[in-house]
Amino acid sequence: MRDGLCSSVPSEVPWWLIASMSLLLTLCLTLAVQAPARLPGIAVERRLAARLDLSVGDTVRLGPAPDSLRVLATVAAVYEPRPDPAEVPLESRRIRMHLPDLAALLGVPDRVDRFGVALRPGVSPDSAVAVLDRTALGYQAYSSREIASGSSQTFRVVSRFHRAIAVISIVASAIFLLCIMLLKVEERRMDAAVMRFIGVRRRTIFGALVLEAALVAMAGSAAGTLLAVAAGAATNAYYRRFFDTTLTFSVITPGIVTFAVLLSLALGVLAGAVAAARLVRTRPMVLWGRG
Amino acid sequence: MRSLGLGVRSLIRRRLRTALSILGIAVAAALLLDMVLLSGGIEKSFAELVLARGFQIRVTPKGTLPFDTEATIPGAAGVLAGIRADPDVETAGAVLGTPLFGRIPDSLVTLFGYGIEPEAQGVYEVTAGRDLGPADSAGVLLSPAAARLLDARIGDTVTLVGRLDPQALASRPGRRLVARGLVRWVYDARGQASVGTILPVMQRLAGQRGDDRVSVFVVKATSDSGVAGVAARLRERLPRLEVNSVADLVVHFRKRLVYFRQLSYILGSMSLVVTVLLVSTILTIAVGERLGEIATVRAIGVSRATVVKQVLAEGSALTLVGAALGMVLGLVTARYLDAILTSFPGLPAAFSFFVPRTGALLTAAAVLLATGAVAGAYPAWLAARAPVAATLRSEAT
Repeated sequence: MRDGLCSSVPSEVPWWLIASMSLLLTLCLTLAVQAPARLPGIAVERRLAARLDLSVGDTVRLGPAPDSLRVLATVAAVYEPRPDPAEVPLESRRIRMHLPDLAALLGVPDRVDRFGVALRPGVSPDSAVAVLDRTALGYQAYSSREIASGSSQTFRVVSRFHRAIAVISIVASAIFLLCIMLLKVEERRMDAAVMRFIGVRRRTIFGALVLEAALVAMAGSAAGTLLAVAAGAATNAYYRRFFDTTLTFSVITPGIVTFAVLLSLALGVLAGAVAAARLVRTRPMVLWGRG
Repeated sequence: MRSLGLGVRSLIRRRLRTALSILGIAVAAALLLDMVLLSGGIEKSFAELVLARGFQIRVTPKGTLPFDTEATIPGAAGVLAGIRADPDVETAGAVLGTPLFGRIPDSLVTLFGYGIEPEAQGVYEVTAGRDLGPADSAGVLLSPAAARLLDARIGDTVTLVGRLDPQALASRPGRRLVARGLVRWVYDARGQASVGTILPVMQRLAGQRGDDRVSVFVVKATSDSGVAGVAARLRERLPRLEVNSVADLVVHFRKRLVYFRQLSYILGSMSLVVTVLLVSTILTIAVGERLGEIATVRAIGVSRATVVKQVLAEGSALTLVGAALGMVLGLVTARYLDAILTSFPGLPAAFSFFVPRTGALLTAAAVLLATGAVAGAYPAWLAARAPVAATLRSEAT
């Protein structure tokens, strides 16, 4: 090779130029051998980065098992994952890397967990799923709707549980409300007796007591709504901090407020009407305590 | 007792009010009981589940919990020999969990496969037929759901397929096995179709035989008191594996279900607040209505202490009856709520959220009675400080 190279050099080229070129080439080759190969870049989830005290530019060692951490990688980004309620209580943290890098790391080239398929406009997802499922063994196709339905199963169970607890709470509060309204109206025995003595009609007394009950229920509902808003805010603040997430845990919708207010009003008016009806049927002297 | 009798009579005088109060207290008591059952039941049920077959320690791949991921441990035989060498280990076994398929006439069905060592296993109980022998490479155990799916009975032959090859558009050759028995897999979800073979057979089906891989080792210590010591020694000896005793697993599990524990504390506290408000409101109004009566009995020489005792007895009687009713109601609602929560996908069928325990019932009852007494304190104080002369004068006019 040396003879060949020498023989190919024109005789008129000065020796110092040849020497310089050789030196440069040797230097380049040496640098090329010594320079580190480009490290794969990874994106690290914020909470993991915080836990491991990692920042962009840091180098980490990765491997498919604790005893085989052989691959070096650079932290190219720190990302905030989209909040997922299913993963809130889990302590697992994630990194993202390019598919070829991950495949090389795991030693399973050209192997993936899943494919995402975007259909042309107008193609039915269900028929596409059926076609794909018929095409080959070894994988199962799902439409986005099926995946959403399957992954939301846990939350449906939690929702059913919350609803059941809510029903028990509503029954307890309804009885409490009935009790209070009954006592509230009972407190007006003397007033009712006086009104009956001075000729006020039973219907008027009944109406006044029911109106009073409705006003009390309304005031209670307003206070309850404010309390619920405060409790919801406290719940969100606590659990967001507790789970280090941006998820919303308590949502108070206008529908919920309307339902609660209407239920309180209905129960309050019902309880007030029952108690008022008993009161106006009682003789005034009995109400006065002399009957 | 005399105070209690007077209190009860006073409550009977106002039947509707008393009935509503008792009902309110009963619902609040039911909610409290449910929350007490929920707060402790989850952990108790989980601990019972993990200890179902008496194995107190689990050894899994580093950073994982049993069957939490598909990670596996290579060189199972060597690791197992090391574990069994510990003098305080009574027995230890390896389990491989893997998805696989069963062949039915015109298709394949998805199953979950357990590779087990029948002589040291902590994951199933035989319910019909017989167990596998340690070297029974031709036998298979089926869960009732798997038997239904494969349309197989004890003695029938089933074909299991480990992997499918999408590129070849075909499954790999299956393995024909004879159903030896029906079993209840301890960690299976309700209706899960699972099958089990001896470990080498399942490793071959899953393509894990080469490295002798398993998912978890189950370890039984000679005594419960030695568990911590065995776990510590195994951690030291197997630094690249995760060693958890039942107590450690309960701690991990508690972290995952922290939401339900906190919810139980919040709702339990709310039910106590409702009880206090209800009882104290009822008694305060009752005392207010009976101020004249109270002043009269004070005027004829009845002591303040007796009046206070009567009001407290009234509160206790209300709470006692409401609590008794609430306990029954609570047990009924607990079953209903448990049925909802145990329908979580993937949750072991043997798991319960609401576990009735004598301790929990006694705790709820004691807390309620104390609450009734506290709720009666304010009205009792009002009754005790009622001005006798002024009240009598006002009653007279």
